[in-house]
Amino acid sequence: MSLERCLSFSRAALRSVCFTKQHLQGCVHICLRRSSTMSQAATPILSVFPSRALVDEKFKVLVENLPPGCPVTIHSLHHSEDQDYWEAYGHYISDDRGKVSVSDDLSFGGTYTGKEPMGLLWSMRPVPGSRKGLRLRKMNVCTPMLMDISVYSRHEGFRDQAPLASVLIERWYMAPGVRRIDIRERGVRGTLFIPPGPGPFPGLLDMWGGGGGLLEYRSALLASRGYVALALEYFSPGELQTAELEFNYFETAFNIVKDHPQVMPDRVGIFGLSLGSIVTMALAVESRVVKPRCCVCISGNHCFPPGRTLAAVTGEVDMNYDKVRVDENNHHIWRDVGLAIMREPSSKLDMGKINCPILLVNGHDDQNWPTVESAEDITEMMRAAGKEHLLTRLEYPDTGHLIEPPFSPHFRATNFIVNLTKEKVIMLWGGQTKPHSDAQEDSWRRILTFLQQHLYCSPSPKAKL
Amino acid sequence: MHSEDGDLWEAFAHYNADADGTVNLTRDHSVGGSYSGCEAMGLFWGLQPAPGAREGLRLRKKNVETPYVVHVSLLEGHVSPSEEQSNELAAVTTERWYMAPGVRRIEIRKDGVIGTLFLPPGTGPFPGMLDLWGMGGGLVEYRSALFASRGYASLSVAYIGHKELPGPQNKINVGDSYFKSAFHLLQDHHQVCADRIGIIGLSFGVYLTLRLATNIGVKPSCLICVNGPVGSTIKLSDDDGRTENFEGDQKYWMYDDQGHVSFRAVSLPANLSPESKVKIENLTCPLMYIVGEDDLSSSSIENADLIEETLRAAGKSQLFTRLSYPGAGHLIEPPYSPNSRSSLWSVKPKKLITLWGGHLAPHAAAQEDAWKKILDFMENNLRR
Repeated sequence: MSLERCLSFSRAALRSVCFTKQHLQGCVHICLRRSSTMSQAATPILSVFPSRALVDEKFKVLVENLPPGCPVTIHSLHHSEDQDYWEAYGHYISDDRGKVSVSDDLSFGGTYTGKEPMGLLWSMRPVPGSRKGLRLRKMNVCTPMLMDISVYSRHEGFRDQAPLASVLIERWYMAPGVRRIDIRERGVRGTLFIPPGPGPFPGLLDMWGGGGGLLEYRSALLASRGYVALALEYFSPGELQTAELEFNYFETAFNIVKDHPQVMPDRVGIFGLSLGSIVTMALAVESRVVKPRCCVCISGNHCFPPGRTLAAVTGEVDMNYDKVRVDENNHHIWRDVGLAIMREPSSKLDMGKINCPILLVNGHDDQNWPTVESAEDITEMMRAAGKEHLLTRLEYPDTGHLIEPPFSPHFRATNFIVNLTKEKVIMLWGGQTKPHSDAQEDSWRRILTFLQQHLYCSPSPKAKL
Repeated sequence: MHSEDGDLWEAFAHYNADADGTVNLTRDHSVGGSYSGCEAMGLFWGLQPAPGAREGLRLRKKNVETPYVVHVSLLEGHVSPSEEQSNELAAVTTERWYMAPGVRRIEIRKDGVIGTLFLPPGTGPFPGMLDLWGMGGGLVEYRSALFASRGYASLSVAYIGHKELPGPQNKINVGDSYFKSAFHLLQDHHQVCADRIGIIGLSFGVYLTLRLATNIGVKPSCLICVNGPVGSTIKLSDDDGRTENFEGDQKYWMYDDQGHVSFRAVSLPANLSPESKVKIENLTCPLMYIVGEDDLSSSSIENADLIEETLRAAGKSQLFTRLSYPGAGHLIEPPYSPNSRSSLWSVKPKKLITLWGGHLAPHAAAQEDAWKKILDFMENNLRR
C-alpha cells in the first residue's frame, strides 16, 4: 500500500495496556504500530470459542494467518473486582500453515508449559508489582469475569509492543435463567440459587471455610448445573469467636432448602470446604433433625467434638495455637495444629454413625490442615462400622487446601485474618500450580458425577435438560 | 421466545429417548413438529409465530446490544405447543447474541452519512465491510454486528426510510456521493485497513453495491451480492442515483389470490430502468452472487445469469462465484434465524403483505451454508 497510508497509520494514536501495576492505573500509552506489519502482510486472526461460557467450560483459542514458524505469545489479562490485575501467558510457535491452537500445541514457556488448553486461565497470577497474598474470588455473580485474550509478537520482551490482535471473553458463574434470591429468614443469612425450569430440583446446602463471609460463586455454579443451592453465611470475616453458632443454625439452613417448593425434600445434600466440611460431617453424623442424601467434603476433617458448638471447635484450634509454624517466608502453616487435635479421640466425630454417601476431596500438599490423615482416620472408623461402601475418596498429589471450581487460579498462600488474634497473616494453603489445577479440573467433574448419581438418578429419575 | 415487539415465537420437535434415556439433537431424529430429521439447530430456525399471533410477522433484532432470550423446554409426550398445557419436565434458558463481548457499536452521523459502525475488540487494524440492505429501509445493524464479532470492522448504512435522511421517506434522496462518503468513512478510519474493504448488499443493496464498485471509482476488494438486481427497480430522478417514489410505478407488481404482492417481476433485467443498469464488465474485484431459487421478491436467477454472461464476455469469469440454493427465498440472512415466506410490507394506504418465498428447511440450510461461504470468501479476499 502507499507510503502515505503507511504513515497515516503510524501517526494514529492507539491505546495500549501496560502490564505493570504502576502503569495500569489510569495510564494511556500512545503506541506507534510498526508500519512494516501493516496491510502488506496478512493480519493475524485471533478467535476464542466460545466467547461467552460458564467458568467450568473449556474454550479453544486459535490464532491464524501468522507467518509460518513465527514466535508469538498468547496472553490473558483480568481486572478483578478488587482492582488488581491478573495475567497468564504462553509462548508458542506457529505451524507451517501459520496457525497456533492452544488446545493442540505446546507452550514453550510463560506461566505454563506444554499442551494446556486452559492454561491461560488456571495459571493466572497477579501482575508484577501487585500487592501480596492476593486471592481471586468473584463476589458479584450476576456479572461475568471479563478476560482480554491477546496475541503478541515474540517471546522475550513481548510486552514492549501493542498486541497483534485481542478479543474479550466472558466467564460466568451463573447460567442464563438461574435465579438469585437473598435469604434472610428464620435467622439464617445466605443466598439461594435456583436453576431455570419448573423443577422440582435436588438441593444443596453450600458452606465455605474459616475465612467467613458470604461467597456465592460455587452455589451459582451448582445451580447452573441443575441444583438448588444455598450459599450460607455463618460468620463475618474475623468474627468466628463471637458468632453465635448453634448447631440448629445449620439445621435451619438445611431445612430452608428442603422446604423450598421447587426442591425435592428427600434429595438434599450438603457441600462444604474446610471448616464447612467439618460442619457438613457434623450434620450428617450428629443431627437428629436433618438427613442429607449425600455429602461432599473438600479439604475437610472430622474434628468436631460431639454435642458441642462450632465455637468450641475453634476453641480447640485456639488451644493448640502454639503448634502453628511459619515457613521461610513467614507464611503460617497450621497442619500441626490439626494433627494435635486429631490425637484426642474425644475431639472427633464418630464417622461410623454416618448413613449417607460421602465424598472426600483432599490434596496431599495441604499445609493448612492434615486432611489426608483425617481421611485415613475417617476410613478406619467407617470400615469398622461396616459403612465403607458409603465412602468415596479423591486425593491429589501436590495439591493444596483450596480446591476450587476448575480453571480458577491456584492460591498457594494468601492473606487471612486469624480469628483468635485478629492479626493479618499470610496463610500457606499448599499445592503446586499445575498439579493443583489438574486436581481442580478432575475433582469438579467427579463431584458433579457424584451429585448426579446420588441426587438425580434412580429410583425416581427426574429429567435433566 | 419473545421478539422485541412482544410476539411469541415457538418451535417444537418430537423425539424418542434412546436406551440410556438420552435425547441428543446433534445425533437424533425429530419424528414430527416444526422440522423432521436430524437438525441440531431446528429449534431456532424452525421458530414460527405462535397461534393467534398478528399477521405478517418477521423476526428481526433491532437492538443488537442485548441478546434474544430463548427458553428451551422438555415436555412429556409428543405434543404441540397449541395443545393443552403438557407436563413440562425441565427447561433451560439460552442467550443468542449478534455482538460478541468487546465489540464496539458506534453511531455514525458524519459527512451526511447515517450509519452504525461495529468494531471488533482489539487495536486492529481490521479489514472492513460496507453493509447495504434493501428497500425495506431503515438502519439494519445485526449483520454488521455479527461481522464485527468475526473480526471485521463493519459499517451498516441507511439510504431510505430513515427519519434522519433528507427528503420524503419513500424515495432515495441520496446519491453516489453519499455511498462514496460511506465507503471513505470506513476506509479512513484509523482502525480499518484501507485496502481491505468489501461490500455486501441484499436485494436493492445489490444494485447499490455494483453501482458503487463499478461507477464511482472506489476500489473494494470483493463484493457479496444476495438476491438483487443489476439496475434500479425504481426510476431514477437524476444522474446521481436518486430515485422517484418507489410505489410510483406498480405495473410489475403481481398479486396472488390472497392479495399478497410479489415484486419479482420488477427486477427482471428487461424491466429495469436501462440508464441505471450497472456496467458489470467494468468490475475489477471478485464477486460472489447468492441466489435463492424460490425468491419471490427479486428475479435473482435472471440477474445472476446476466452478471455471469457479461463477465464471461468480458473475459472476467474468474471473478465470479455463484451460490444457488433450491427452496431458499429472498431473505438469505445470517444462519439459524427463521425464514418468513411473507411479511407485512406497508400499512398505508392499506395493509400490504409481500411474498419473499423460501421454505423453512431448505432456506435454513441455505443460510447456514451461505454464511460459511461468505465468511470464507471474506477471509480469502480481505485477510490473506
